[in-house]
Amino acid sequence: MISQIKFAFKYALGLDRAGNRFTVFPDDTFLVSYPKSGNTWVRFLLANLIYPDEVVGFANINRLLPSPDVLSRRFLRKLPRPRILKSHEPYDRRYRKVLYLVRDPRDVVVSEYHFNLKKRYINPDVSLEEFGQRFLQGETSSYGSWWEHAASWIAARQGNPAFLLVRYEDLLADSIGETRKIAKFLGIPAEEERLRAAVERSSANRMRELEKKQADQWTGTKNTRLEIPFVREAKSGGWKEALPAPLAEQIEAAWAPLMKVLGYELQCRQKEEIALPAWVRSPHLPQVQRSR
Amino acid sequence: MRKKLIAGWKRAFGLHFPGHNLRVFPDDIFFVSYPKSGNTWVRFLVANLVYPEKNPDFSNIDRLLPDPEGMSKRDLEGAPRPRILKSHLSFDPRFPKVLYVVRDPRDVVLSSYHFDIKRRAIPEGYPLQEFVSRFVRGELAGLNPRYGSWHDNVASWYYARRNDSRFLLVAYESLQSQALEEMRRIATFLGVDGNGERLTFAIEQSSARRMRELEKKQGHLWNSTRETQLDKPFVRAAKSGGWKSELPQASVAEIESHWGELMRDLSYELSTRDLVPAGVGR
Repeated sequence: MISQIKFAFKYALGLDRAGNRFTVFPDDTFLVSYPKSGNTWVRFLLANLIYPDEVVGFANINRLLPSPDVLSRRFLRKLPRPRILKSHEPYDRRYRKVLYLVRDPRDVVVSEYHFNLKKRYINPDVSLEEFGQRFLQGETSSYGSWWEHAASWIAARQGNPAFLLVRYEDLLADSIGETRKIAKFLGIPAEEERLRAAVERSSANRMRELEKKQADQWTGTKNTRLEIPFVREAKSGGWKEALPAPLAEQIEAAWAPLMKVLGYELQCRQKEEIALPAWVRSPHLPQVQRSR
Repeated sequence: MRKKLIAGWKRAFGLHFPGHNLRVFPDDIFFVSYPKSGNTWVRFLVANLVYPEKNPDFSNIDRLLPDPEGMSKRDLEGAPRPRILKSHLSFDPRFPKVLYVVRDPRDVVLSSYHFDIKRRAIPEGYPLQEFVSRFVRGELAGLNPRYGSWHDNVASWYYARRNDSRFLLVAYESLQSQALEEMRRIATFLGVDGNGERLTFAIEQSSARRMRELEKKQGHLWNSTRETQLDKPFVRAAKSGGWKSELPQASVAEIESHWGELMRDLSYELSTRDLVPAGVGR
């Protein structure tokens, strides 16, 4: 009863956590991705790009590139507009302008496994294999499965001028080029100098240093197992060593069509003909590189 | 401030309509569709199939198959389980089992047009072609932005779940042309007894003629028709392909050029296939 009254007041004052209950404005832009797909990295890139005079770190990233999941509705309402917000939500019709970041699910599962250990969401004796089974069913995240997340966004919005699809892998391979593309999409001024500085200030090394100093000041790392780093390998293709072969095979069997569309090379089913979903045949797909 | 406190109070005690923030139970079944896609008809079909003893009509349909956007959180959580819920929302990964009804967007737009006149969202004689352009942009007066465009709503569900055993796609058109077979599929999916007699009963109880009669008697009571122009029917033509005679050619072309790919994937024949230019943005 007391907690309910407290909530009533919090809600009235707009101090409850926003989650997806906040008001979306037509000029909002969202940085959306499935969890563990490089979202924090891109948040740093954007924050460094937009606020070149700030020292961007874990301590202030929630303020610079806010996440409705951990902030109050009032805080979000008072932000200067247009806002750029971070989100892990699967397709949400209210989001008009969306930068969608996607990553190879075989790398995502490895990253999510370590993050879950770090957060103590799973016991230390849970194996990657076991975790992977739940990952495939979409049970490790409240945002649905990787497939559901990526397919709902890409199918609904690919080809829409207010939707930009960026692969984590491309961002790694050509950080400056991809950041330039993102800056253009967001309408942020991006001279070479500024781009280069933003990429350097968001490098894995620098983020690791910042994590060491500020891990207790960020919701993502506070009260977690500090011996497991948040900024881990920061590379792509790590799954080739880390992922048990049967699990990799299962992921490919389950999600092949979408992985193929996104240019993620399949190891196990290359020879089989895969029925591609409609948006692949659509003329709206110039942004996606189909092979690398 | 007082208004906000009341809203907060309502929330704290579960008296608000939860909508998107509904608490989902693992045994829930959702019946989802874009607005004006035969939703109410299928609601009657399912209600008559699952709860024949309750004599479903416009007076109790909102309780038998509730909509999370139209019932309080407390009532929803107290409803007998397993619940069958009705929704127009676009993809939500929390919905465990989903029956999705899809309808030809060329008919959906006509139905929306007449419904929006009925409920005075647009004035009588509003240019249909203009309406279609807004529909394609996903900007309908009463519907948007809650549900997004037809394309985004259908695509988000269809591609996220199409190969999932927890997802059943039913086309409005085939429900009309082969009601019995489609109802059998639905019964199996819902896990209810689908013997021929029961199916036939449900189909007869939900016929357009019977629904029209019920609407005449109860139209002033039901949430969706109350305070609308009662001389204009909610249960309208109840057929498919009306667009062929009613929709201007330019509007047909506009819809097909934007959504042709998805329509083709759903086996809706395009009439302007050759006119679809490559690379047209949505």
